Amino acid sequence: MFSFILFVLLFTGQQDQIKIKDAWIRPGAQDMNTAMYFTIKNNGSVTDTLYAVKSKLAQKTEVHETYSKDGMMGMRKAELVVIKPKSSFEFKPGGHHIMLIKLNKDLKSGNEGEITLFFKKTGEVKVKAKVKKPDIKKGS
Amino acid sequence: MIITKNKVRIFAMAAILTLSLYSCKPKLPVEMDLSREEFVLINQDSVEVTIPEILKNKISLAGYIFTHCPDICPMTTHNMYRVQKKLTSEEDILFVVISFDPDRDTPSVLKKYAELRDYDLNSWQLLTGKKEEINKLLDNVGVTAIAADSSFTESGELNYYFLHTDRISLVDKEAKVRKNYKGSTADINEIINDIKSLE
Repeated sequence: MFSFILFVLLFTGQQDQIKIKDAWIRPGAQDMNTAMYFTIKNNGSVTDTLYAVKSKLAQKTEVHETYSKDGMMGMRKAELVVIKPKSSFEFKPGGHHIMLIKLNKDLKSGNEGEITLFFKKTGEVKVKAKVKKPDIKKGS
Repeated sequence: MIITKNKVRIFAMAAILTLSLYSCKPKLPVEMDLSREEFVLINQDSVEVTIPEILKNKISLAGYIFTHCPDICPMTTHNMYRVQKKLTSEEDILFVVISFDPDRDTPSVLKKYAELRDYDLNSWQLLTGKKEEINKLLDNVGVTAIAADSSFTESGELNYYFLHTDRISLVDKEAKVRKNYKGSTADINEIINDIKSLE
């Protein structure tokens, strides 16, 4: 009984540890690539690490980061994203993003998509997001 | 110190001369002249177009992208779109998107890219073409695009990305580049003010 209660407490704590907010997906055409953005909030007292991502939206899904080199811009795979306790990590235009490689179908404004994030401590976290054009008042 | 009428006149003339010289100075110097050479390209409707021909008699904003780019390049074209939305309908500006990935960016791919983002193809030209012609144009405008990181899908298809110049160029009615901006983070109010200074 004690073990069961402990398990429930631990499990519940882990689920509450990581919260995802403000998720959105940039429109993209079938067979092309697009990006998903959101903020990860770590409410827990221990560091957690995003180490993988999966989605049926595309043939391949990876965590990518945009970088600058010799005055030019590029993009590369990012293996791990570490989120310290009581802190947030933003996936945002011009920075880290979820790279949806070779979309299985068109993603148009108003559509919805889901991805699964894999954290070392929290485990699987499913994220649903609307496809939308960036805000006309903001650059992104 | 005695200030004579002559001294006042000389001072006034010097001030007028300085002001008139300042006002004659072009606000935006010519960065590059695209009117000296012809570049044959193909637009999103598979119609052959040439630079400088399409740039003449209109102020243009040109962005350089590849459509497999999910982040920086859509930010660049989104900034061009924001400029268009903020301008009044009286301002007749051409929005030109030049792909540095002609192998994958066919006219139909470019058209779909525009349609998904609601770009008005009456005022937008998305251009691809032969690799040599694209490279010649990129050399002229000082834009670099180098194939860099890549990955394979599960079906074994290669997906590659570019390390590239992040740029929007303002081009005047004589096909001369007057200013370059960092495309993905450009200040659209600055672009709009610069467009107005060329009208």
